[in-house]
Amino acid sequence: MPLLIVENIERVYGEDSQRVAALRGVSFAATAGEFIALKGPSGCGKSTLLHLVGGMDKPTRGTILLDGMNLDQLEEDDLVSVRRRRIGFVFQFFNLLPTLSVIENVALPMLLDGATEKQARDRAAGLLERVGIGKRAHHFPAALSGGEMQRAAVARAVINQPALLLADEPTGNLDSANGSHVMEVLEELNRDLSVTVILATHSEEAARYAKRVISMRDGMIEFDRSESLLHEKLLKPV
Amino acid sequence: MRSFLSLYKQFILRPLLRHKLRTIVTVIGIGLGVAVMLAIRIANRSSLASFRVATYSIAGDSSLQITGSAGSFDEMLFADPAWLRKYGRVSPIIDGVCTVSPEDRQHREYLHVLGVDIVRDAAMRRYSLTGLSGRSQITTIDFLRLLADANAIVLTERFARSHGLAPGDQITVAIGDSHRDFTIRGLLSDEGPARALDGRFALMDIAAAQQAFGKLGLIDRLELRLDPGVDLERAENEVGAGLPAGLQVIRPGQSYVEVEKMISAFHFNLSALGSISLLVGLYLIYNSVSTSVIGRREEIGMLRAVGTRRRLILGLFLGEASLIALAGAAIGLGLGHWLAIVAVRATATTVNTFYVSVAATSALTSSRLEPSEFLFAIGIALPLSIVAGALPAREASRVGPLEAIRGTERLRRSRRPPLLLAGASLVLVAIGVVLALQGPIAGLPLFGYGSAIVLMLAGSLLVSAVLWCACKAASGLTPSYFRSLRLEARLAAASLSGSIPRLAISISALAISLAMMIAISIMISSFRRTVEYWIDQTLGADIYVKPMAGATDDASGKIASEALAMIKSDPSVVAVDAFTSLPASYQGRPIMLGAGDFRVLLDHGRLMFKSPFDARQKMLEAIGENAVVISESLSLIFNKQPGDSIQLPTPAGPQSFRIAAVYYDYSSNRGSAVMDRSTYERLLGQSANIKTSRVLPTSLSVFLAPGASSDETIRRIEAALSDRYQLEFSTNQQLRREAIRIFDSTFAITYSLEAIAISVAALGVISMLLTLVLERRRELSILTLIGASRLQVRRMLVIEAVIIGSVAEAIGIVVGIGISFVLVYVINVQSFGWTIQYHFPAGFVAQTAVLMPALSGLVGLYPGHRASNVPALTVVREE
Repeated sequence: MPLLIVENIERVYGEDSQRVAALRGVSFAATAGEFIALKGPSGCGKSTLLHLVGGMDKPTRGTILLDGMNLDQLEEDDLVSVRRRRIGFVFQFFNLLPTLSVIENVALPMLLDGATEKQARDRAAGLLERVGIGKRAHHFPAALSGGEMQRAAVARAVINQPALLLADEPTGNLDSANGSHVMEVLEELNRDLSVTVILATHSEEAARYAKRVISMRDGMIEFDRSESLLHEKLLKPV
Repeated sequence: MRSFLSLYKQFILRPLLRHKLRTIVTVIGIGLGVAVMLAIRIANRSSLASFRVATYSIAGDSSLQITGSAGSFDEMLFADPAWLRKYGRVSPIIDGVCTVSPEDRQHREYLHVLGVDIVRDAAMRRYSLTGLSGRSQITTIDFLRLLADANAIVLTERFARSHGLAPGDQITVAIGDSHRDFTIRGLLSDEGPARALDGRFALMDIAAAQQAFGKLGLIDRLELRLDPGVDLERAENEVGAGLPAGLQVIRPGQSYVEVEKMISAFHFNLSALGSISLLVGLYLIYNSVSTSVIGRREEIGMLRAVGTRRRLILGLFLGEASLIALAGAAIGLGLGHWLAIVAVRATATTVNTFYVSVAATSALTSSRLEPSEFLFAIGIALPLSIVAGALPAREASRVGPLEAIRGTERLRRSRRPPLLLAGASLVLVAIGVVLALQGPIAGLPLFGYGSAIVLMLAGSLLVSAVLWCACKAASGLTPSYFRSLRLEARLAAASLSGSIPRLAISISALAISLAMMIAISIMISSFRRTVEYWIDQTLGADIYVKPMAGATDDASGKIASEALAMIKSDPSVVAVDAFTSLPASYQGRPIMLGAGDFRVLLDHGRLMFKSPFDARQKMLEAIGENAVVISESLSLIFNKQPGDSIQLPTPAGPQSFRIAAVYYDYSSNRGSAVMDRSTYERLLGQSANIKTSRVLPTSLSVFLAPGASSDETIRRIEAALSDRYQLEFSTNQQLRREAIRIFDSTFAITYSLEAIAISVAALGVISMLLTLVLERRRELSILTLIGASRLQVRRMLVIEAVIIGSVAEAIGIVVGIGISFVLVYVINVQSFGWTIQYHFPAGFVAQTAVLMPALSGLVGLYPGHRASNVPALTVVREE
């Protein structure tokens, strides 16, 4: 069974004459270990789709099943629990807590889930080494470069060994060198930890790391192409 | 100007309206501070307003007054006042107080009585009778006819109306220890002296007044109205030089000035207390403007980027502070007037008991706000608020366009311990100690207050360091039984330690309020313990007796010798200390001159002596000698010690006395000098002109045989006296209870003021926490995003509130103890001339140490609720 099933999702904002359809009938599925890039111009709905998949927003119509759970039917506390254990997030502006050190930021999701201090710190330290910033563990975010902060954010996103990692323009605030480093980290984690990565980006370079590209325009999937071309199909508007 | 107004509307007004809760909290905080200051100001003014009006309206057109330096004087000294007539018209006066409904202690009223020679007095005062053959103006002849009867009295129309009296009715009043019946012969309309004291004024013929008040052959003063062209100062000097010993010439209103001087310390202390609320309110303004600046740094940067000048930015935020101040002042005006009514009532007992009995019972005379009150409210709120808002406004004007737009400010946090501020705090403590060691200025403890303010500032500077330490402790030392809270504690500590400079101001406000509450509580506790001990030591008699018509500042009340003899003859009575007290003036300040039986006191009673160590022996040696024991107030105010000599005014003229000892006296801060009765009678006897009524006592301390019942003795004595003498009896227990009641009511207003200050500070804490939630929306949504539950977020906020409350409490306790030393050993001594023994109410302080953090936690629940509802999507939406 696919890890994630998105079925006929619509997301409409506003009312009456002010209605704006950010997503119009989007459907796709993702299996465990896939690396998917959501590509498209600004305003095409890729970030909206990511928010819905991440349980941060609710669709106007349609269903999202993660590990068989209908996200739309979950209470807020259950959603929090899902976000904590099953989903990791990486954003364009890093979103590290400025009052915690890097290792504390990375360890936080595990601590929130009830792990002991030692367990969380040990795993966080290991992940920081893995993403190449082990020496910066005790520094505060203000002392890090953009690339380092994003790598820390990636480490935080995967510390609870989520099934799904959602990355919204993770290289949008980085230069090309740092952007490549971050993408390499994501690729490595996808490969080694079998975490499904869904990456929203308008960058061709970033999209190249994905094995499957879902192109979007005007709230709909334009095409869905994997490396093996087996899943390519043109979707007609609903 | 147009651009300023336009920007002001968009940039200041709209956000204020958008963040209603924070704005309302800040405005209310300022409003409360202004209200308290205004209420105290009105109460201080009102407390003596009646007395001032009475003094000046009763004084009428008199230019000078000749009085005895120790009460009434022999009228024969002016048997032929011809030498005075060359200056103007002269009128003798009997001035006394009688009591209406004396038995009913709750509704007892004092009536100020003027006994005049109506022929001579017509030149001094205007009298207008109502209801006399349809005429409102009457002649002197009419008055003479009215007052020809020795039992005639003229009341005011206002008093008669309120008591359902009319001309021809009888009225019974108590004068001294007797009841007297008078017939109302006329009513004065509301003019001249009839306006005094809300109409509690009466007029009698001088001879009838002399008889009624037991002042046969005596007068209280001579009033002199200078003829046109006579120079006041010259006349004052010449008359003063020509007076016999024991008399003085003063200007009308002198008594008011003297009392005002005496009460000034009390008023000053109240004002200082009231200013705490305003000070805390100013912190709220700082917090509000500061939040405004921080939350909109990017907008400010944008304004700068498009060409807005720095001074315009500065003006905008000063304008925000001003608007809050004006709104707060408006609320303060309304609330202040209502609070003033409460304050007047709250201070009435104190003023009544310690200063002027007939003054403080009148309520506020006007329900409308005076223009001066408007000016006062705006005058204190506006400039101080601008000062409070100046720092953040300046910070706003320095925001550069690039920094704000880049948003790097979000990441920058200070993590070093604020050692510099801690060091500055220690320096301020040293300065505070030095200030506390200085003496008073014009009788006011200005250096003492300066010391208290400096200590408060020292505490404020210490907040950062203590908060830093508290955050370290919270993140590392959560006990094992709070393990489940450890993460939330660490997050709370991390969050707070990143915002220390921002939080320090608001925490300071709470800490200062708490410090004042603790300091004042320690002072009151010390005072109470001292007074209780003093009462225990000093009130040794079994029964205390005074005339039913006794008033604080009036010497009319005497106890007849027959009544005294009856009391002494009771089989249970073993000794009676007959005490005579006279109001007198010493170096322009009212004091009490007394005469008591030193032998009885030494054998049966007790005085708590301050010095010398062999005071009892010295008091024994003072019997029959020109020696006095003086109260501590007198000693401290006039710097007199045992062994010094002091020249005191007496009915026999100024006399020199040796100071035998100093005793503690908390019944008044007026200052007292007491001689042995035999000395007093000897001095009176030396002067042929002094009448024997002067020796009558004004109070008695009665000592019973062991085992005798006070209540039964009182019943017997009252039965023996029947209705001939109106005396008030109190047992030892009753007097102790009354003394404590007066003490507690004196400080009731203090507690109220403190409660208001704490409330304002608590508003500040709520405002600060809500502001933190607002500022940390991104961080809170990140937490939610990465899996923090609502409960975890709420706990984090509550723990932050508990840390804040604990830090404020810790500093409040330390600073409060420091200030309590200043209050007890400096301010109290210099203001009132009382030394009190320091007592630390450990139980109370321990209670606050627990309650305040707990209350803070409770206060944190609402911000915690708000924080836990910040959606995870907030962070990405803001991006």
